[in-house]
Formats: sequence, C-alpha cells, structure tokens
Amino acid sequence: MTVEELRESIARQFGRSLHIRTLDTGSCAVCEQEIRLLAAPHYDLNRLGFFFTPAPRHADLLLVTGPMIRAFAVAARKTYDAMPGPKIVVATGACALGGVYPVDPFTHGAVDAVLPVDVWIPGCPPSPLALLHGLGVAVGRLAEKVRDLPFTEDLYPERTRGGS
Amino acid sequence: MTLWFIRGLRRGVVTTRYPARPDASAASLPTPPSFRPQALTSQTADRLALICPSGALHRDRRVLVYDVGRCTACGRCAAEAPDAVIRSGEFELATTDRSVLIKKIPVRGEAL
Repeated sequence: MTVEELRESIARQFGRSLHIRTLDTGSCAVCEQEIRLLAAPHYDLNRLGFFFTPAPRHADLLLVTGPMIRAFAVAARKTYDAMPGPKIVVATGACALGGVYPVDPFTHGAVDAVLPVDVWIPGCPPSPLALLHGLGVAVGRLAEKVRDLPFTEDLYPERTRGGS
Repeated sequence: MTLWFIRGLRRGVVTTRYPARPDASAASLPTPPSFRPQALTSQTADRLALICPSGALHRDRRVLVYDVGRCTACGRCAAEAPDAVIRSGEFELATTDRSVLIKKIPVRGEAL
C-alpha cells in the first residue's frame, strides 16, 4: 500500500464518522467542560459525525488534555496501545502543548513526551469552536490557518489598539 | 412538556452552523494576543517575557519568540503594555505541525 493509498483510506474511513475517546492526564477540568459542551445542543457534535465513546478499543481519535502527569503516563500509553489503527492523537489545551506546567518530577510537561501527537489545539481552554476546528483539521475536512498568521499588527489594520 | 415544546418552536434552531458558517459567539472568545512591532522595544519585550506566567514569550536577540501553543490568553501582557499588545481574535489555531505555532515577532531595537 502506497502512502497515497493509505492517506486516501484514512480520509475515507475518518471522513464520515469518528469516535472520540477523551483522556484527562491531569488537567484542571476546564478543557473537559469545553469538550462536554460539544455534545450540547448549541454545538451538537453528532451532526458532524463525531461521537464520544468510553472505550479506547472503539475509538479512532484520542483527545488528550492536561500536562501528562508522570503517574498517568503508563495508563496513557496503554490507552493508546488499545486503540485500533489508524488512530489520531490530539493534544488539547495549553497544558498539553507544554505551556502551564514545567518538566519536573511530577509531570512530563507536555503530551508529546509520551504519545505521538498528530494535531495540536491551543487555547486555555480551547473553546468548543476551536475544538470543532481542531477535529476538522484532524480528519482533514478543514484546512489549518495558523501557518499564515503572523500575530503582528500588519494582519489587522482595521483594529484599534486595546486589551487582549 | 408543552411549555418546552412551545419554547422550542418560538426560539427555532439554536445549533450553530459552524464550520459551514461563522458563529456569532466567536467575536467574544478570549484569544491569544498579537503584537505591534513598531511599539515593541527590546525593554518592553523583556518585560513581557518576564511577566508571562506560562512561558509563551521569550526574547531571542532582535525577535520576540511567541509560542501561541503555550499562551493561555490571560491578558497580562496586554495590561502591561497596552500600546504594544492587541487582541488577535483568532481562535482557529489547530495545527498538524507544532512548529508553526511558534511565531517570531520583530523587536524594534536600539541595542541588542
């Protein structure tokens, strides 16, 4: 199977319906609140073909929050190993991306240290809209935009100065 | 039950159309800041790097290295230097490449 065939097969399998397993590796639970909101009527994740599943063996996508505390690393690895391939790992929130917590005897500091991350979703917490965009990026339905954002003023000439 | 049914009929569909159409609530989300290079001196950059609680900012010679992935949008940099830091309004920041989240902001510098 060539790389193109594999990519096409992943797009075909994940393009329609996808099951998500969430994994809390020591987050403050605000990311979980935002993830839970995805199932609420306003965002209604199921309309896009995403579903939450409690079993890693039924999951296609692992949505990881938190800074990956060392006590949880083995469990996270087991969860990842239990998932059938092809699988996607999404690091969610500033903790999982290496922000809030340093590398110390208690945490790995970022999800990358333990699991092979495919998609990163920044935000503290990422809003449900950001999570929807991240899930779209993960399955290849939405294009990523952040590559072209310079985060300097040149991009926003119409905005006036003010707070964040 | 009847009341809920009538209420539902009156309010219509509340589900957002995102990502097919933009969502109205996106304008009020807390978002990572962006910077004005003209107002960003090396002293300001150092000060911002010092107060950033999540280590998203540090200065590397003439650029302010800004890791958007680490930013928690707390707003302390905007409070510290309101003329150099503005709201970006960007929330679609998910990426398949971690390195594109690290932005390099040029610093208006006198000395290195």
